[in-house]
Amino acid sequence: MAKLTIGVFSSLVGSLSLDFAVKLSEAAIKKGHSVDFWLSGNATMLSKKGQRNFKDYSALQKPVQDLLATGKFQITACEACAEARGFHKEDTMEGCKRHSMDWYLASCFSADRVLHIGGD
Amino acid sequence: MATKKLAFIVKSLPYKTEASRLALTHAIASQTVEIYLEDGDMVEPVLAFMGDGVLNCLKDQTAMNLYGVTSLEQHIKNSLLLDLKVMICKEDVERLGISEDALIMDAEDIGGETKASIAPFGEIMKEMDTSDHLLFF
Amino acid sequence: MTLGVLVSDFRNMDNILSRLKADKLGVILVSNGVYHAAVKEGGKKSSILEKSPHLYVLSEDLHSRGFAESEIDTRVKSITYSDLVDLIFNEYEKIIWI
Repeated sequence: MAKLTIGVFSSLVGSLSLDFAVKLSEAAIKKGHSVDFWLSGNATMLSKKGQRNFKDYSALQKPVQDLLATGKFQITACEACAEARGFHKEDTMEGCKRHSMDWYLASCFSADRVLHIGGD
Repeated sequence: MATKKLAFIVKSLPYKTEASRLALTHAIASQTVEIYLEDGDMVEPVLAFMGDGVLNCLKDQTAMNLYGVTSLEQHIKNSLLLDLKVMICKEDVERLGISEDALIMDAEDIGGETKASIAPFGEIMKEMDTSDHLLFF
Repeated sequence: MTLGVLVSDFRNMDNILSRLKADKLGVILVSNGVYHAAVKEGGKKSSILEKSPHLYVLSEDLHSRGFAESEIDTRVKSITYSDLVDLIFNEYEKIIWI
């Protein structure tokens, strides 16, 4: 099958664009594709562990963990964007990697399709 | 050995959001992407400013002094220093009444040789056509 | 090229969309872009609907905003996330989000 790279810069909870990207990833993986998911800017919030699930708020930590369990999903946060926001390596949810921006470009290099969602 | 071309199309205004800054920093990251790739493989970025995004290209930005952040001007100059192709949409420059003098066209003051170009949108469209992937900011 | 444009907003989309040229241009209304399919302003339908014969709206985003398929312009095809995946991989070489 094929690979979709999604780059998202939208805020966790503050925008449903990140939820869109997660749902699209779920649909792509169900169809047998693989997904690389790049978080930069405000989207690095999604890399933080310990997110609480409240009814009125979108909750993406578990869906992301479920996607990771498929083995067809990689999620990577921009290290600089995360650190600037006070999210350190020890704050990162299990399975989420951290790299510099060149990781995203490398993912785009080998992707069949790239969807860049640049901001809220 | 393969080269993949990525078009970074900037339509966002600077500073209120970080969209255009991230476009520049991601494009510049092409300088180090080879650590992830096979020998000889490359990513070729093209940066194009369109719509209100051409306003990122104005000279004399003082964001560093006032907000302590690297200005878009400096990021664009860094891109030129690294020989990235930078295009500024001619129609949008004219629509907004911007003279060429007011735009960042080179990085000579920091030793750069590559110049930006004010290009008709048709040329920007051609770059998009020949790119492997498009990233709109 | 074949280009799929995910239109995510209700305002200020025309300027960009009008300028894009492709052998096949798909307009996929998602997020707040779904309002183009369902809302008239001053009695007029959105000009976005004239941009391409290939018009789609994401049903999940349509329904979450209170619209049913019966309320959208007949030129627009309602699709699911699963259909969107097929469009991305089978119909459009490049996709953008505006």
